Amino acid sequence: MELISNLGLGFATAFSFWNLAYCLIGVFLGTAIGVLPGLGPVATIAMLLPVTFGLSPETAMIMLAGIFYGAQYGGSTTAILVNLPGESSSVVTALDGYQMARQGHAGKALATAAIGSFIAGTIATVVIAFIAPALSNIALAFGPREYFSLMVLGLVASVVLASGSLLHAIGMIVLGLLLGLIGTDVNSGTLRYTFGRFELADGISFVVVAMGMFGIGEILVNLENETTRTMLSRKVEGLMPTRADLRRIMAPVARGTTIGSVLGILPGGGAMLASFAAYALEKKVSRQPERFGHGAIEGVAGPESANNAAAQTSFIPMLTLGIPSNPTMALMIGALIMQGIQPGPSVISEQPALFWGLIVSMWIGNVMLLVLNLPLIGLWVRMIGIPYHFLYPCIVFFCVIGVFSINNATFDIWLMALFGVAGYVLRKLDCEPAPLLLGFVLGPMLEEHLRRAMLISKGDPTGFFTSPISAGLLFVAAALLISILLPAIRNKREEAFQEEE
Amino acid sequence: MNRIISVAAGLALACGALAGPLAAQDYPSKPVTLIVPFPPGGASDTIGRVTSQTMQPGFGESIVVENKPGANGALGAASVARSAPDGYTLIAASIGTFGINPALRSDLEYDPRKDLEMLTIAVRTPNALVTRPGLGAKTVEELVAKLKAEPDTLTFASSGTGSSDHLTAELFWQVSETTGIHVPYKGGGPAQTDIMGGHADVSFQNLGNIANYVREGKMELLAITADERSPDFPDIPTMKELGYDGLEVYSWQAFAAPKGLPPEVKAKLSEGLTSALKTPAVTEQFAKMGFTVVANDPAAADAFVADEIGRWSKVIKDGNIQPEQ
Repeated sequence: MELISNLGLGFATAFSFWNLAYCLIGVFLGTAIGVLPGLGPVATIAMLLPVTFGLSPETAMIMLAGIFYGAQYGGSTTAILVNLPGESSSVVTALDGYQMARQGHAGKALATAAIGSFIAGTIATVVIAFIAPALSNIALAFGPREYFSLMVLGLVASVVLASGSLLHAIGMIVLGLLLGLIGTDVNSGTLRYTFGRFELADGISFVVVAMGMFGIGEILVNLENETTRTMLSRKVEGLMPTRADLRRIMAPVARGTTIGSVLGILPGGGAMLASFAAYALEKKVSRQPERFGHGAIEGVAGPESANNAAAQTSFIPMLTLGIPSNPTMALMIGALIMQGIQPGPSVISEQPALFWGLIVSMWIGNVMLLVLNLPLIGLWVRMIGIPYHFLYPCIVFFCVIGVFSINNATFDIWLMALFGVAGYVLRKLDCEPAPLLLGFVLGPMLEEHLRRAMLISKGDPTGFFTSPISAGLLFVAAALLISILLPAIRNKREEAFQEEE
Repeated sequence: MNRIISVAAGLALACGALAGPLAAQDYPSKPVTLIVPFPPGGASDTIGRVTSQTMQPGFGESIVVENKPGANGALGAASVARSAPDGYTLIAASIGTFGINPALRSDLEYDPRKDLEMLTIAVRTPNALVTRPGLGAKTVEELVAKLKAEPDTLTFASSGTGSSDHLTAELFWQVSETTGIHVPYKGGGPAQTDIMGGHADVSFQNLGNIANYVREGKMELLAITADERSPDFPDIPTMKELGYDGLEVYSWQAFAAPKGLPPEVKAKLSEGLTSALKTPAVTEQFAKMGFTVVANDPAAADAFVADEIGRWSKVIKDGNIQPEQ
């Protein structure tokens, strides 16, 4: 009963005129910056922070949250249309989404992403409303040991992501791990592989690698190939998914939502793992795993749902404990503090209008995103019909601006060009960039948590097996590894791959 | 036609560039760039943005914040150190950039004492000595006794190697003649989370960042590193009261400019910044973030920074925590 009165308060807050208006502004801005590569929610929210001082705390948070999940949403649009993932979560969307677009199903891919995200967002909102306080302690139960084991599982799962040769995939993961080592060593402060350049002291930015390998690399491949220069096949089939498609994505959406909701609660990188854990799962349970990487609609539906669900549930540690899950959340906490509200367990009891209003507004925001984005699909699809010799300079232009805007550094633009060439060469060698990117993201976190866990345990590794959570994750990782490495399965994978070629 | 326009534009630019240094008394005659060598949203960024926006109306020109993050502020600071000392390039940064980096790294491309001049120390906040719940040391005395009984067993979480809270822990060990295990994190947030989760034992965190966790009973606050007790926690002693001399440590944020500013320009900037910082609305906003406004004059700020560099150099040398380079 209390829940209903709480949700009633939430609806009353979220449905006030100004809160609706700022929610719309938030999701609209979020979609816009999500679509533009590079410019992310962190920079946008930082610039808007002074504006929020004049608003009530509820209104400010509703708008900032709208920017955050709107950007998650917009990011998948660019990933699907032009193979440009702006953040780690959209890398997997690009895998099958871009292939669908190439085959003339861009509209269907975008609609799948929109519908999957909406369903996931709705369910995750309900999850937050019902069990947020109960879930909050999971975030604290994860220490360095548990995160290490989670990253091990993530790395093993990233092998599944590759659609080609297993050996190539492992090679790319290792290369990604090596690239991830560039920068300052967390423990000693020593600079590693920076070649005396302070620009590399914080490591290479993910966006630089992703845009270079995916975006620029893709353009180079397209330019080389005169005959397939029009990026898409001419026929653009139905914009909306058919009834059969919808039936096919229901299970992946449900699974993605579950994975995303659980991983989103972990502030130390859980949300980042959500989308590709969902992809790996879809590929594992699929009867035709060989379709993945070649335009499988499940490969869009699952990760997109997981991504959106995780974006929603990553609010749980912030709202219930005051712990930020990512830099965007840290900014939102900053905004709350400036409003005189200290985020923490007391927020639910002391600021019920804020807490429940924000939760309800997330659901309203998801409705707005759906209404905003479904009609836009036709426009997007027409946009990629533009002749390639007009389109690709625009893509390069936006990539350059986007990469520059992260650190205001021209060094990053050169680095992106370098990764573009590398991406082209690797593609020629049949090496896929996705496993590299995951190695690049997960490697440093794996190292950080491993070394921290060993420091805390004074060099005793048994803790990884005595902590139940950690032991469970390692067990799943080992089981997954065995299933990948069993020669019978590997042969089947390669046969299937060769048939496709 | 196009060529004529571009030649004219070029000439106009060249004239502007020539006119610049001549006109210290006309300062400011164009927008000023304020470099923040950290990503948007951090303490330096917020302090820089709020202060410069408050200062802008009386100043007469706009002040544009540009984030140039990297290497704990070293990249942005080096670029400011290389800029012309004309008052059109300023920097807002932290104790790390101005006070610790120069003591920690010998390969820096700037020296705050030689290449920069301080305009004002904007704000400061003391560190708080906190422990995980249930550690079993309710006072500093008990903690020190525990550290002495079991040397090198308790873990001290910090927001990174060479961070203000790492060096505070190092200083605490030196002053109290104890030892512990330093566990660096990537920023204060994850370190605080692991204290609350019970994965690490002790930490020195900025008081403003952890005040609420303490009130909620998620951490235990043993002492603060300020000159006097905090009005928010009147029962909590300072390290100084407890007899630990030299443990008054603050994290601070400051404004600076390239060395060699014309005196009129420097006076105008320091006056503008300090009066903006002393505006009640600004002071109040910073207080919510746990910061106290300092707003001292350039000479005092320069002396303070030189002191800090000297002090941390000694801590780093005594603790032998110089990274390999």
